[in-house]
Amino acid sequence: MSEEQDKDKELLGKQKDDSVKAESSTAEKAEAAASQALDPEKGSSASVPGQPDQQEAKAAGDERILPESGEAHEQSVVSEQPAANPEREAKLKAAAEARAARAELKVSAATPSQQQSDAPAEEGSSPAVNPEREAKMKAAAEARAARAAAKAAAEGGEPAAAPGDAVGSDPEREAKQKAAAEARAARAAAKAASEAAEAPAEPKPPSPKQPQLDETVELVRSLISEQAVEEAYINELNDHMPIIVVGRDHWQATANLLRTHDRLQYGYLRNVSGIDFETHMEVVYHLVSIETKRELAVKLRADREAPSVPSATPVWATANWNEREIYDLLGVDFPGHPDMRRIMMPDEWVGHPLRKDYEPLDPEV
Amino acid sequence: MIRTEELLLNVGPQHPSTHGVFRIIVKLDGEVIKEAIPVMGYLHRGTEKLAENLNYTQIIPYTDRMDYVSAMTSNYVLCHAVETLMGLEIPERADFMRLIVMELQRVASHLVWWGTYLLDIGAMSPFLYAFRDREIIIDLFNELCGARLTYNYMRVGGVKWDAPEGWIDKVREFIPYMETKLVEYDNLVSGNEIFLARIKNVGQYDAQTAIDYGLSGANLRCTGVDWDLRKVKPYSLYNRFEFDVPLGKRGDCFDRYLIRLEEIRQSLRILKQAVEQFPSSGDTMGKVPRVIRPPAGEVYVSIESPRGEIGCHIVSKGKAEPYRLKFRRPSFVNLQILPKLLVGETMTNLITILGGIDIVVGEVDC
Amino acid sequence: MKGLLKGLGVTLKSMTAKKITTSYPDEPFVMPDRFRGIQHFIPDQCIVCNQCARVCPTECITLTGKPNPDPEKKGKVIETFDINFEICILCDLCTEVCPTEAIVMTNNFELASYSRDDLYMDINWLDSNNKNVRKDNNNIGAPQAGKGGAKKDV
Repeated sequence: MSEEQDKDKELLGKQKDDSVKAESSTAEKAEAAASQALDPEKGSSASVPGQPDQQEAKAAGDERILPESGEAHEQSVVSEQPAANPEREAKLKAAAEARAARAELKVSAATPSQQQSDAPAEEGSSPAVNPEREAKMKAAAEARAARAAAKAAAEGGEPAAAPGDAVGSDPEREAKQKAAAEARAARAAAKAASEAAEAPAEPKPPSPKQPQLDETVELVRSLISEQAVEEAYINELNDHMPIIVVGRDHWQATANLLRTHDRLQYGYLRNVSGIDFETHMEVVYHLVSIETKRELAVKLRADREAPSVPSATPVWATANWNEREIYDLLGVDFPGHPDMRRIMMPDEWVGHPLRKDYEPLDPEV
Repeated sequence: MIRTEELLLNVGPQHPSTHGVFRIIVKLDGEVIKEAIPVMGYLHRGTEKLAENLNYTQIIPYTDRMDYVSAMTSNYVLCHAVETLMGLEIPERADFMRLIVMELQRVASHLVWWGTYLLDIGAMSPFLYAFRDREIIIDLFNELCGARLTYNYMRVGGVKWDAPEGWIDKVREFIPYMETKLVEYDNLVSGNEIFLARIKNVGQYDAQTAIDYGLSGANLRCTGVDWDLRKVKPYSLYNRFEFDVPLGKRGDCFDRYLIRLEEIRQSLRILKQAVEQFPSSGDTMGKVPRVIRPPAGEVYVSIESPRGEIGCHIVSKGKAEPYRLKFRRPSFVNLQILPKLLVGETMTNLITILGGIDIVVGEVDC
Repeated sequence: MKGLLKGLGVTLKSMTAKKITTSYPDEPFVMPDRFRGIQHFIPDQCIVCNQCARVCPTECITLTGKPNPDPEKKGKVIETFDINFEICILCDLCTEVCPTEAIVMTNNFELASYSRDDLYMDINWLDSNNKNVRKDNNNIGAPQAGKGGAKKDV
């Protein structure tokens, strides 16, 4: 956080002699940047209307981890107002207040020199061409203060979140994040409590395959283990294909369940793909049920150094050569596979060609 | 002293009947196969790795060369995957062109299969008859898009060329011609006693095995499982047309043979309806941005190619090139059952079974 | 026996049917207009936009341009233009994106030679390859002035 302050100081100090407008705009931008760094999960400024629907979908029970947008902190302000009336005026006012609090917070928390440079910035902007901007900045400072105060209230008065301390060392940021999480929970509760959705941002209609996904997840969780299913979501683009991410340790049991259980019966394994994300490897199994015509995709993640995923060959014989191909081209090991050999490349080949960091021995090839 | 030993035989990479460069290491006891180990990779060209540096339009010529006998369906699966990922609408005339072309391709591909299968078994004339009729289809494609085998015809959002003058009429004339030819082929081969003795009850498996091994296409339907992606998960305009899906009972090579011939007949039926309903005007390309940049996400689509279910799994990071492009090739997956089927068979039946699975090695290796 | 006899009937019938064999190479084989044969290059129309080299899936086109010798006009003029026919797959994407139709396909397909060096064709050869030039070029990949809808580029 201190770097941000230094940067602000530099910017403000450097442009002290410049035109007032430039100064105020820079300060505002720096402020926005600072506010962004302040709360990494909150996005752009509060006044952006029509937030993405993902927030609603998240609250509605989807379990995908997504970066939050700027609506989050607006919502947190809303939840603080016990009048559960998400009307735009109140919100905008609250947002403006939040912003003012923020600006004030920043100003008050700065080092004396910066305060001095800030103060002239504030003052210098008063004869600014745009009085609204100055009001906004003040409102932002106030809003930030209010937000920090709210967080402090939510946390139960942790001193780190006191309004006087905008700069954060890491533990403070963590605390803020925890507060944000709690605020999020509170917001979700508030939203669930209040029926009306925000006018410009409607919740997405639940996917038609959602019940199927829920049923699958519930069965796996209840019959195998609570930690078996790490994530579950619907891929809307792909004709609403349900996707579950399964932990590696539970994959054998889960595969058996998916194939044999009466309600699931995914007997036909269509495709096994391996994907090399640079941070981890992923193996995707696409299943379909011949009887009920339902589809499912199962993902397994493995780390990159020694990737290994238990083989699904005992369950679906289709996986045999598919897994050999993934082993050959990507290097993912499948313990439990009856015949783990290279399939496309010659047997003596060194390296796994489809990896992103593969260097061919012979560059001409 | 007479003693027997196990013989290790290489059914070559160079062999006229393996449909490409494909090798089977066979352990023989006399003439009975004890174990068969397929070895592939002789035609591996690294399409999936190359695709990570090319944008989607540039990958289309590569898909042609994967399943070169049925290139239109390979083109289509890639275009369909990108269009699903981007949520594009295809104009109706383009969709009709795609469907007509794909069904013609199915007829052509089954003719190639029929001709080469019978050639492997020993009959020489069906090969030439099949290729004579296939020439007509290939000439139609030549007029349409300028190539006989590697069409590069479909684009993301539509097709490249519109039908030239009189092309639809030529397709319309082809259909009754082909129907009479099919009757001739039936007369020529399907009643032939020698042929039946070689084909019946060879390479038999049941429905559960087929589903376990992930077989698709005629290999799955010969056991009686009603799974044709054009009916189960319709894509393009297939839900507008009436056609039957032939199913087998016994699950042997003869059923697969009959199913494929019947599929030609059903394709002709679809073609007849498509040519009747062909819109007289329309765009051949939809509203497509200049640079095809699908949003970040992943998609898996699959269609029914003459060999089975061909699928395309794209992981995109929002750039013009795919992050990972994986093709689910039917020949690759269908071939897994070969070692299992060959145990206990004679060498002559090896060729029969291998031909009955209908592989194209360009697809096996990708 | 019956099946065999029916088959023989079909064979005998086709003995008297019309033969479809053509006498290539004695007679030239006429390809339809859209056939994708070897390219023909018209240097005067090339504006050195480099789209063909960019779109080629096998990167077989190499070209260089030089600034226009005429000081009045702007833009570049083509200096060298090579196509490596060892790797050109005649996919036709280069003609699809050329905005001025400077590179077009012909209907010639006979390029067999005894040495690999003969397959590296330069600008003069490509310019002189002007028999049977394809008429319908359909360059939908090039920027279409004033046309809406079907626009696509690499």
